[in-house]
Amino acid sequence: MSEPLLVLDNVTKNYGAIEALKGISFSISRGEVVALLGDNGAGKSTLVKIIAGGLEPTSGRMLFEGKEFLAKSPAEAKAAGIETVYQDLSLCTNVDVVANFFMGREITRKVLGIPVLDERAMETVVEKALASAGTRIPSLRANVEHLSGGQRQAIELNRFVHWGGKLVLLDEPFAALGVEQTRRGLDMIRQVANQGIGVVIITHIMQQAFQVADRIVVIRQGVVAGDVARNKTSPDAVINMITGETLAGAGPAG
Amino acid sequence: MDPRTRHALEFVLDNLVWFMLLFVLVVFSIFIPNYFQLGIFANIIEASSVLGVMSIGLALVIIAGHMDLSVESVAALSAMAVGILFCSSGIGLGVQLHPQWLMVPVSLALALAVGGLIGAFNGYLVVKVKMSAFIITLASYIWVRGLVLVISGGRSAQDLAPAIRWFGIQRLAGLPLTAWIAVACFVVFSLIMAKTPFGRHLVMIGGNETATFRAGIRVNRNLIIAFVLAGAIAGLAGWLLAIRTSGATANLGVGLLFNAFAAVVIGGVSLKGGVGTLPGVYAGVLLLSAINTAINLMGLPANFTQVIHGLLVLAAVLLDAFKQTIRQRLA
Repeated sequence: MSEPLLVLDNVTKNYGAIEALKGISFSISRGEVVALLGDNGAGKSTLVKIIAGGLEPTSGRMLFEGKEFLAKSPAEAKAAGIETVYQDLSLCTNVDVVANFFMGREITRKVLGIPVLDERAMETVVEKALASAGTRIPSLRANVEHLSGGQRQAIELNRFVHWGGKLVLLDEPFAALGVEQTRRGLDMIRQVANQGIGVVIITHIMQQAFQVADRIVVIRQGVVAGDVARNKTSPDAVINMITGETLAGAGPAG
Repeated sequence: MDPRTRHALEFVLDNLVWFMLLFVLVVFSIFIPNYFQLGIFANIIEASSVLGVMSIGLALVIIAGHMDLSVESVAALSAMAVGILFCSSGIGLGVQLHPQWLMVPVSLALALAVGGLIGAFNGYLVVKVKMSAFIITLASYIWVRGLVLVISGGRSAQDLAPAIRWFGIQRLAGLPLTAWIAVACFVVFSLIMAKTPFGRHLVMIGGNETATFRAGIRVNRNLIIAFVLAGAIAGLAGWLLAIRTSGATANLGVGLLFNAFAAVVIGGVSLKGGVGTLPGVYAGVLLLSAINTAINLMGLPANFTQVIHGLLVLAAVLLDAFKQTIRQRLA
């Protein structure tokens, strides 16, 4: 494969004396889906937050599209083309679906030089995006607080599919979804990857990882305990890596 | 439920406070002699201009999920600053500018600047130092009022320059210009909150600050602007207050804060943040004013006002909870 999209080189994160990440190195290419697995507290979410600009690493470096990269805020990561779907949903339940979809990127038109929200244009875009993903939501003008958990998660997923960018980070995106919606969510991930976007997905469910990922990276106690292609491993082998019984396939980035 | 009933019901819920205002006006007009007069209605609007302007700033900050208890004292300080400079008796210095009208923009800019500075101070501490807005602005409420006492020595300034007073005397369609300024403020800020990205972002920050931060919205910047606006608007309220009383006293505007809170809550703004609109707040302000006027006309002792305001706030909060249940059933 060509030059990797994102390279992590010995990234560490300490909270006081606690080493959450002891040195993580791996890389991800364009159009590749990497499943990030690990036990609770292994450091997966910390790692995602570092890439997404929510946390600063203690040491180590990252290369994004071959250039030194460190996002100091989510806004910077977004500007670089990194979209994130967090475990706890990032929706404002007090506003409607359209407002959430466009959060921070509203379409405006100038009226007397003042930016004014173009509600109609935004609604059209959301309608199209949701329809093409097969998500049904009764009213786009309903506040999100009135929607179900599954509908909320669908909004988040559709949001990242629509905005795309270059790299997508998904932290347990299917926690609130039913079987059918999860299947559709996995399809969405493939679809996004086929557009050449890199995808990192954190999940607890082995089956999902094997369904969607090209490569599986296992983190255990703050280090990479395994980095293997999906078709060269098995769920049992991965579970062994997670629990630490073997160190199969552990290796440097690349 | 068919969509039309649903829409109608949602419309009523969204504008409930306006219907309450209408209801109260009708009831008063029927049962209180002499209530139904254009002059009385004009008086309701006129009497609510200072409170109305102050409520706008307070509402902005509360909608964004914070709190500003200092607006009353800030208004008093701005009024005192204008009073000391442009009043000709009492502690007024009687500064004259030529041409006369120049005193209008200068005094207004002074009032806005005083308010904006204190707002920036509040906002900086709340946002950057991450202290509780309640405590920070409570402190400002106290020290700014203290500052008013210090610079005035407890005395008052009277006889505001006629060029500035003009705004309180000159009438347009039965209302003094000061009242029109309040109405204009409501229109402008209602549009900002409902139609611009800035307003939308404030509402979303009030709803879920973490989500807006993750979405790349500049939360800190927006919040500081909200505090500066609240301060500057309070400064404007102080300027109007100085015009209304033709000067400033050390205890000017005491108690306005609680009325402003009442108006904001009655207007449908949730103290938890993220919920509420400015037109609703204006209806809340008018509702309070309409009730005050009724109490005056009926010749009840003015002390009743406070009891009724308190009960009204209580009713508003209960009504809000009731509205939530209906909405849940609608969705």
